[in-house]
Amino acid sequence: MAGITFKNVVKTYDNGVTVVPNLNLEIKDKEFVVLVGPSGCGKSTTLRMIAGLESISDGELYIGDQLMNAVAPKNRNIAMVFQNYALYPHLSVYKNMTFALELAKVPKDEMNRKVKWAAEILGLEPYLDRKPKALSGGQRQRVALGRAMVRDPEVFLLDEPLSNLDAKLRTEMRSQISKLHKRLGTTFVYVTHDQTEAMTMGDRICVMKDGIIQQFDTPQNLYDYPCNLFVAGFIGSPQMNFIDAEVKKAEGGYKLCFGEAEVTVDKDLAAYEGKTVICGIRPEDLHAEKQFFGEGNMIDAYIDLDEMMGSESYLYLKYAGQKMIARVPARYAKKAEENISLAIDAEKVHLFDKDTEKAI
Amino acid sequence: MLNKDKSKIKEISYAKWGYIFIAPFFIAFTIFQLIPLAQTIYYSFFEYYRSGLTIIGPTPVGLDNYKELFNSDFLKYAGNTVILWVAGFIPQIIISLLLAAWFTDVRLKIKGKQFFKVVIYMPNLIMASAFAMLFFALFSENGPVNASLVSMGILKTPFRFLASVKGTRGLVALMNFLMWFGNTTILLMAAVMGISPSLFEAAELDGCSPRQTFFRVTLPMIRPILVYVLITSMIGGLQMFDVPQILTNGKGSPDRTVTTLIMFLNNHLYSKNYGMAGAISVVLFIICAILCLLVYFNLNPTENDRKIKRRDRFKPRKEAING
Amino acid sequence: MDKKPSHARTVIAYIVLILLTFLCLFFFYILVINCTRSHQQIQAGFSFLPGSSFAKNFNSVIHDAKLPVLSGIKNSLIVSACCAILATYFSALTAYGLYAYNFKLKKPAFIFIMLILVMPTQVSAMGFLNVITKLGMINTLYPLILPSVAAPAVFYFMYSYMQSSLPLELVEAARIDGSNEFHTFNKVVIPIMKPALAVQAIFAFVQNWNNYFIPALVLQENSKRTLPILIAMLRSADFLKFDMGKVYMLITIAIVPIIIVYIALSKYIVAGVALGGVKE
Repeated sequence: MAGITFKNVVKTYDNGVTVVPNLNLEIKDKEFVVLVGPSGCGKSTTLRMIAGLESISDGELYIGDQLMNAVAPKNRNIAMVFQNYALYPHLSVYKNMTFALELAKVPKDEMNRKVKWAAEILGLEPYLDRKPKALSGGQRQRVALGRAMVRDPEVFLLDEPLSNLDAKLRTEMRSQISKLHKRLGTTFVYVTHDQTEAMTMGDRICVMKDGIIQQFDTPQNLYDYPCNLFVAGFIGSPQMNFIDAEVKKAEGGYKLCFGEAEVTVDKDLAAYEGKTVICGIRPEDLHAEKQFFGEGNMIDAYIDLDEMMGSESYLYLKYAGQKMIARVPARYAKKAEENISLAIDAEKVHLFDKDTEKAI
Repeated sequence: MLNKDKSKIKEISYAKWGYIFIAPFFIAFTIFQLIPLAQTIYYSFFEYYRSGLTIIGPTPVGLDNYKELFNSDFLKYAGNTVILWVAGFIPQIIISLLLAAWFTDVRLKIKGKQFFKVVIYMPNLIMASAFAMLFFALFSENGPVNASLVSMGILKTPFRFLASVKGTRGLVALMNFLMWFGNTTILLMAAVMGISPSLFEAAELDGCSPRQTFFRVTLPMIRPILVYVLITSMIGGLQMFDVPQILTNGKGSPDRTVTTLIMFLNNHLYSKNYGMAGAISVVLFIICAILCLLVYFNLNPTENDRKIKRRDRFKPRKEAING
Repeated sequence: MDKKPSHARTVIAYIVLILLTFLCLFFFYILVINCTRSHQQIQAGFSFLPGSSFAKNFNSVIHDAKLPVLSGIKNSLIVSACCAILATYFSALTAYGLYAYNFKLKKPAFIFIMLILVMPTQVSAMGFLNVITKLGMINTLYPLILPSVAAPAVFYFMYSYMQSSLPLELVEAARIDGSNEFHTFNKVVIPIMKPALAVQAIFAFVQNWNNYFIPALVLQENSKRTLPILIAMLRSADFLKFDMGKVYMLITIAIVPIIIVYIALSKYIVAGVALGGVKE
């Protein structure tokens, strides 16, 4: 089994555009790593470099402890699931799954055994003789997974495999892929632009932007301790609120002042005293329940728009000239064009430097 | 620090496969088209012909061949070619536009469209030489056409089509028309069907009559493909050979009024006058090269919006081929 | 108010269509009728009913010592079939090379092919004769077959078809599955291209079946000649002495097989014309 290591990897296209300037990344054996980021952030390119579909301009790529830069895709012992499934349209499901095995001259009975095994896990047994055209999107997706499974790869690469499915099927396939990872116990590298997929599936998540890794950590840590403004904004839905606040000295610490709110935080902000910082507050850390109300952490905001989601409500607020979103239990919510009093959970406030956008 | 080591690490590249895959095309093209073209141009500056069993030349003569060419009947043959092409193309484009408009008009419920399409395209697949031979037999002095016309009382005596300039040219134009109008119709139809139906619906709501819709919506929209049809048809016209050659047995009779440029070239090739054949070819090549450039810019317009339109139009749709 | 002009237009449309259909079919009708009649019957005048001399005409064409019809059919078949195979396979290969790979000369190569897309072969005929004479190919079928490897119009069709029907992911999937590039082309790309290959194969076949100019220059021996040349020979023979039944029969032999194939595959061919756009 194998981990994956990028050492100072650079990817520059023939037209001179550098999409990955300098990548250092270590993926452990048997880990489920999700590469996430907005489109054009280099996540797919990174995955395709692991697959050998993109050449590496500079630096070293190891799978296990073998240098892979010049190794052809077929010799890397990897399997890949593509966004559009990339099933061979002229071959049956069975033949699609055995295509690689036939090329590797795997004996017939072993081939049958492997296909049977994969088809059983994925529930594809009734469809083995069908052509991809005659399958639904979800079934095609499972065939693509099956085709990867029968090869017993050391690394599974998945490139936005769920983006062509409808919402319900996506949730279902998400858990199926997670289960598959546990069952197979191989390394999974999964690319997506959807932070929900990333959060629910990954052991560790690698957030990328402009070809640079922003943060590589567990979902919980990404959520609780985003290292910069970008990660903070990318992870979590609805998005974290960013508010400009002035840092003032208070007794026993410092306080963040914006509008009438003066939130006291337990952090050493001596360096920022008198300056403006960006204060990140997650929508769920704005509380409408009375038990959170206290001194200084209160805001009295005007509701622009309210979105009732059932058990909770998203309130689009205006406060002190800045826009905010709050996510409050439905029974505490108010309607649009009303004012609401909300308490800020001071312990969960994230602070970012206004110039470097890094977490303080 | 490790840069020197690193540069030794090979990267995987598939570029060489691109070269390997396109190599056969370019090799074949070089051997059978490019080198011949170069030779053709080269010998056009030489005196190089066969007289009896002796070969004269090759001796360089500069532009003499071209001077001789323009002093010969070249211009007359060029005129013939143009007349024959125009006489066939005008009815071809008019009928094709008309049919394309009718076939794509939803308000005209023409039955058996598929049948008509199959029938009108058929002459295009016919061996031109056999077609010409057939016309020759049918329109000869005592052929079935004259026989019918006489027996129906339209003519008193058989009309010698192939002895009259108008008759012969008319027959060539008729054959060219018959062979190509179906092809053009189908191309134009495809172009019209590529126009979004909502555009026609909008025109109808705006109160356009079918005629107005045709001139104000359909025609402007299919202009690129009309240009394409025009240019390719011109190139086809320049290549005109089989029909007049067989119909007149290579003589271009009466009085060489249907001798086309390629027939002229063919005569020089047969008599092995390579210098003159080269000169004719070069002139033809220059004309074709200009037309090729026009096709190229028509198919690859520089403006982005037209490019998109173009792509859509020429993109084969799989379903359409499958049935 | 709206319906009446529409109705009148429909009638006019039908009249024009029927006239054109008549024009297209009538000559072939006479041809088929006349090839079944004897020389005397044909000379006596036109008839709408077939005669009974089909077999006789057929035999006299087949057994004419001066007109090697059987070998003509054979040569035409060989040339057309080989051209169809070469033109489609190598055009697909070229299109694939330019579609699936990135290399320095990709764009110049593509522009070059687009520039020569509609360049007629006649303009280089003189040099062509020279070259094939030097290669010792004169009076053989090779110079009629081999140039089909470079067929720009077929290339363009294949390229457009790939753009719409061959996702590059499929090629990458095959690469990961361990397929080498040729294997991918033959086992993945070619099957996907089948509809396009079929349409273009038909066109290439017909085009070469009908080709007259180059074969007439290249083929000098009777036994090597293709059908169009035989028809030209018939034309240049002393026509008045000829058995007209035989003339019509030879034309029938040259034309009818194509028509039969055409009618059988007309659906695909007509669709192919519409899609191709580019065809000489």
